[in-house]
Amino acid sequence: MKTRIKEYRTKYNLTQERLAELVGVRRETIIFLEQGRYNPSLRLAYNVAKALKTTVDEIFIFDE
Amino acid sequence: MKMRTALLSAFVVALVLIVLLVSLREYYVAIALTVGAVILTRRELWYMMKKRKLPPFDERVRENMKKSARNGFIFFAAASAALMLFYTIDLVYVANRHPVQIMSGLFLAGGLVYLLSYVFYDRVEPKLGEKEVRRLKSFLQVAGIAAGACIASFILHNVASGLLGIEEPVFFVIAVILSPGAIAVGLIGSLVIFARGLVRKQLPSERVSQGDVVPE
Repeated sequence: MKTRIKEYRTKYNLTQERLAELVGVRRETIIFLEQGRYNPSLRLAYNVAKALKTTVDEIFIFDE
Repeated sequence: MKMRTALLSAFVVALVLIVLLVSLREYYVAIALTVGAVILTRRELWYMMKKRKLPPFDERVRENMKKSARNGFIFFAAASAALMLFYTIDLVYVANRHPVQIMSGLFLAGGLVYLLSYVFYDRVEPKLGEKEVRRLKSFLQVAGIAAGACIASFILHNVASGLLGIEEPVFFVIAVILSPGAIAVGLIGSLVIFARGLVRKQLPSERVSQGDVVPE
């Protein structure tokens, strides 16, 4: 799975720490998500998308 | 609330075991384990001191805690089985220890495995590349297989020697030389990779821009 979290985070000048605070997770979780090494629950994916003012399918790109 | 209760229980159990170890005059073990636990959980402790609350236990952390609990339990069960085996063949250095000391050691070692697994999943793994994770798994497998082979060879050597009436050489060499060597290689290799991940700030490929504010 690829993600565009880093791209959006950069766009809004957010640090990993700040994004983690907004979503209510640890910074390590954001690192995992950015690297595409963790499949989040729908709730977490939604919260991340909301914090980055976009939609889930815009941020998480699934390989067919 | 559940998480707080679980952590509080773990803290109380750890405290009881430390008191037990001190009462058995195993001061160095108690000090080493306490210092080790403080070093490994320093970030959580720092977070609690700074923000007066526990760090967030998000879904990934909860999953990792479950995996760590499983690892700790498997270790505890395997170590207990190995100990019982040593008891049945009456190895002097085990039989001479007080059962409470052995149980304390087992519980503490199981707890340490839990703690290390938790730190690994939570902190070290994101900072390791895929190749490093694969290498770490290989080293751990080598250590695990060698430990199993050591016990198996030990038993087989005794059985073969007993049946044949001679000193059987092959399993003896595996149990006394090859297996301990492989265990050492596996443990040292995995510790080196683990320490590298613990010390590293972030993945080498991510160093330039992972941080923080990059203007548009």
